[in-house]
Amino acid sequence: MTDDKRPARVPLTSGLVDSLKEGFFPEIQAAVSGLLSGTRSFYVFFVLSLLTIVAASIGGLDAVRIGYHHAYNVTREIPWGILISTYIFFVVTSTGLCIVSAIGHVFGMKDFMPIVNRAVFLSVVTIFAGFTVIFFDIENPFTMAIYNVLSPNVASNLWWMGTLYGAYMAFMAIEFVFLLLENHKFATYAGLAGFLTGVAAHSNLGAIFGMLHGREFWYGPYMPIYFIASAAMSGGAAVIFFTMIGYKVNDELMEAPMKRALEAVSKLTAFMISVILFFTTWKIITGLVGAPGKKAVIMATLNGPYAINFWVFEVLLGMAIPLALLLSSRFKNLKMSFLASVLMIIGIFFMRYDLVVLGQVVPAFHELGVNEFQGLHPYMPSFHEIMIVIGGMGIVAAGFLLGERIFKGHKSSH
Amino acid sequence: MKKYFAFLLTAVFFHASAAHVTLAAPEETGHGGDIIYTKPVKGVLFSHANHVEAVGLSCDSCHDTIFPMEARAVQKNKDFTMASLYKGKYCGACHDGSMAFASNTQCARCHIGVKGFERLQKKSK
Amino acid sequence: MFKIENLKKESLGKLPLLERREFLKMGFVVTGVFAGGSILSLVSNAEKVFASAGEFAEKYPYKPHYSMVIRQNLCIDCERCLEACRTTNEVPDYGYRTAILEKHVPEAVGQKTEFIPVLCMQCNDPPCVRACPTKASYKDEVNGIIRIEKKKCIGCKVCMVACPYNARYFNNETRAIDKCDFCFETRLSKGEKLTACSAVCPTGARTFGDISDPSSEVYRMVHQLQKRVWVIRAEAGTKPNVFYMKS
Repeated sequence: MTDDKRPARVPLTSGLVDSLKEGFFPEIQAAVSGLLSGTRSFYVFFVLSLLTIVAASIGGLDAVRIGYHHAYNVTREIPWGILISTYIFFVVTSTGLCIVSAIGHVFGMKDFMPIVNRAVFLSVVTIFAGFTVIFFDIENPFTMAIYNVLSPNVASNLWWMGTLYGAYMAFMAIEFVFLLLENHKFATYAGLAGFLTGVAAHSNLGAIFGMLHGREFWYGPYMPIYFIASAAMSGGAAVIFFTMIGYKVNDELMEAPMKRALEAVSKLTAFMISVILFFTTWKIITGLVGAPGKKAVIMATLNGPYAINFWVFEVLLGMAIPLALLLSSRFKNLKMSFLASVLMIIGIFFMRYDLVVLGQVVPAFHELGVNEFQGLHPYMPSFHEIMIVIGGMGIVAAGFLLGERIFKGHKSSH
Repeated sequence: MKKYFAFLLTAVFFHASAAHVTLAAPEETGHGGDIIYTKPVKGVLFSHANHVEAVGLSCDSCHDTIFPMEARAVQKNKDFTMASLYKGKYCGACHDGSMAFASNTQCARCHIGVKGFERLQKKSK
Repeated sequence: MFKIENLKKESLGKLPLLERREFLKMGFVVTGVFAGGSILSLVSNAEKVFASAGEFAEKYPYKPHYSMVIRQNLCIDCERCLEACRTTNEVPDYGYRTAILEKHVPEAVGQKTEFIPVLCMQCNDPPCVRACPTKASYKDEVNGIIRIEKKKCIGCKVCMVACPYNARYFNNETRAIDKCDFCFETRLSKGEKLTACSAVCPTGARTFGDISDPSSEVYRMVHQLQKRVWVIRAEAGTKPNVFYMKS
C-alpha cells in the first residue's frame, strides 16, 4: 500500500503506469518492450498457445461451414455437450478468480492483496475464453446480440446469466484498468460491482439447471448454491496455478508477501474443497432415494459409464488428492499447492462435463418403459467440439502469458 | 395336389418379393410362417406358427374358404378393412369375441406397426 | 363376505372423485382439467364449489383452448400421422414433431405391445417458454399453443433441455427451434379444424378440439368418470393439454 514497501518493484511497474499517464504511444512501446524481454519458456508457451488458437479457429470455422449438427455430437436428447460444459468451466473459473480477488480487494483481507491484479486480469481472460467457446455452440449468436436487448425474457435464467455476465466482464475490465492506474477507490467500487454481478450471474447459471423442473438430476436449489461454492474452489486453484506459472515464465523469485498470499489462498482452497466434498456426498446420498431418474444418474456415476469420470477425475484428482496435498504440506509447500491446483483444474473440468451431460442422459420418457428410450442417452464429444475446447484453453494461455509480459508480472503497490 | 401347387406358388411369391419379409419355406415348417400385411395400413402380423402350432388349427380351417393360399392376396381387396372384420369377414370369422378375441379389441396384438414391420424385415435379412 | 381385494378395486374406481373432493375442500376449483386423479390446473376460486361429480371444470384460460386426447390403445403405429406431419409442416428427415413410441410388455396376457404417440403437450405451465431468453418460444395468448417466433431464436437450445417431453429439435433449414404447434401455422390459421395427424389417423387415436367447448369431443372424453384419463409426466408440473386414455 505504501511506497516504502515497494522500492524493489518500482522498475517493473513504473514503466507501464507512467506510460499510461503519459499517453497512448509510450504504453504500446512499453508493452512491446515487455513482450520482447520475455524468457525462453515464455516464448515456447506463447507460440504453443497461439498454435492451438489457430488450429481451433480452423476447427471452429469448419464447424460453421459444415453446420453444427454435422460437426458436433450433440443430439436432440443431449443438446448441451462439452462446449457448454467448457463454457461453464471457464466462467466458473472467472467467477472464482473474482471471488478470491474480492476477498483481498473488496473485503480488505490484506494477505490476499498480492494476488489481486493477476486474478482480476485472468477473470477477464477466462470469461472471454468462455464467451468464445459458447459463441461456437449457439446457433445464431448475432440474433442473440439483437434480441437479448429487444426481446428480453426476465423470467429466463439464461437471459439474466448472459446479461449479468456481460456487465460482469465490463466491471472486471474496468476494475483492472483502475488497478493499473492505482486508483484503488474506484477499483474497489468496480471490484464490488464485478463481485455482485459475478455472483448473481453465476448463481443464475446454476439456476438455469436448478429451475428445470423436468430434469430431476438438476432441479432444486442445490445448483445455484453449488455453483458459487465450486466457483470459489476453482478460483483458488486458478490463482495458485497461474501465479506459480507466472513467476516461472517471468523467471522471478517469489516475494514473501506473495508466498503468504498463496498460503492463504491454499487454505481457502482446501476449505472450499471440503465444502464441495460435503455437497457432493449429500447430493449422492439424497439421490439414492426417491426419483428414479435421479437415482439412475447417481448409479451411472458411482458404478456405471461415468464411474471413471467421477471417482478418478472428480473425486481423486479434483478433490481428495489436492486436499491431502494441501493438508499434508500445511499449506507451506507451494510446490505441493501447485500440484494440487493442476490436479484440481483437471478434475474440475470433468466436474463441469459430468454436471452438464449427466443432467440429460436420462430419457425424458424413461418412466414409460418404451423401447426407444431404454438405458441412458449416449454422448461423446466430436473432434470439432474438442478442437474448440482446446482453442478456449489456448485463449486463456495466450491471454495469461501476454498479461504476464505486458503487465510485468502483475506487480502492484498493494 | 392343388394345395401343393398353392404352397409352391406361395414359396415362389416369397422369393420373388425382396421387399417383403422372407420366411422359412412352408416345406420346412408345415405352415406359411409369418404373413405381414401392408395394406390398408402397414404392419399387420398373422402368425401361422401361433395359429397352427399353438392353437392347433389345420390348413383347411381357413384355406381356401376365408383366405386363399396366396399370401397377402386379400389385401388387394377393397373390403379388406376393419369394418369387414366386424361383419365376420376375413380374420373376423373367428375374431368375434366368442371364438377368439374380438377384432375391435387388442389392436396392437396383430398391428405390429411400421416399427414391428421394419424389425421383422431387418431380422430376415 | 368382506374381501380386501374387492375393497381395493372399488376404492380405486372412486379415487378420482375423492381426490376431486379433496381439492374442492381446499377451496380450489378444478379449472384446467381433471384426469384420473391427476389435477392438471388449478385456479383459486373459493366461492365456486361443485356439489356433484357430474359438474366439471368450466373455466379454461384460452378460447379456443386447443387440446388433444390420445386414445393410446387405438394407435396401431401405421405412422400415417408421422408422414402427414412431415409433409404438412416441412419437417426435415433429421427431426420430428411427433413420434410413436413402442412399449413391449412380454408378461402381459394377450396383447403384449402398445404404441404411445407423443408430441408437444402444449403445457399450460411450459418450462420451455420460461427458459427462453428472448421470448422466441411463447404461449399464444389466444389459443394456448406453444409457438416459435423464428427470427428471435438464438439457437441456445435451453428450451430443448427444459422440455420434459423431448418435443423440440433445432431445424437447420429455418435456423430455429421447431416443434409441434398443433398445425397452427399450416392448417388451423387457414381455417382447418384439425391437425394433420388427427385428420389422417385411421383409428381415431388422436382426437383434436377445443376443450373449453362442452360440446366438443375432447371435452366429453376428458370430463367423465368411467375411464381413466392421464397425462404423461404429471410430476413435472407442466399442466399438459394433451391427454391420454384408453377407449
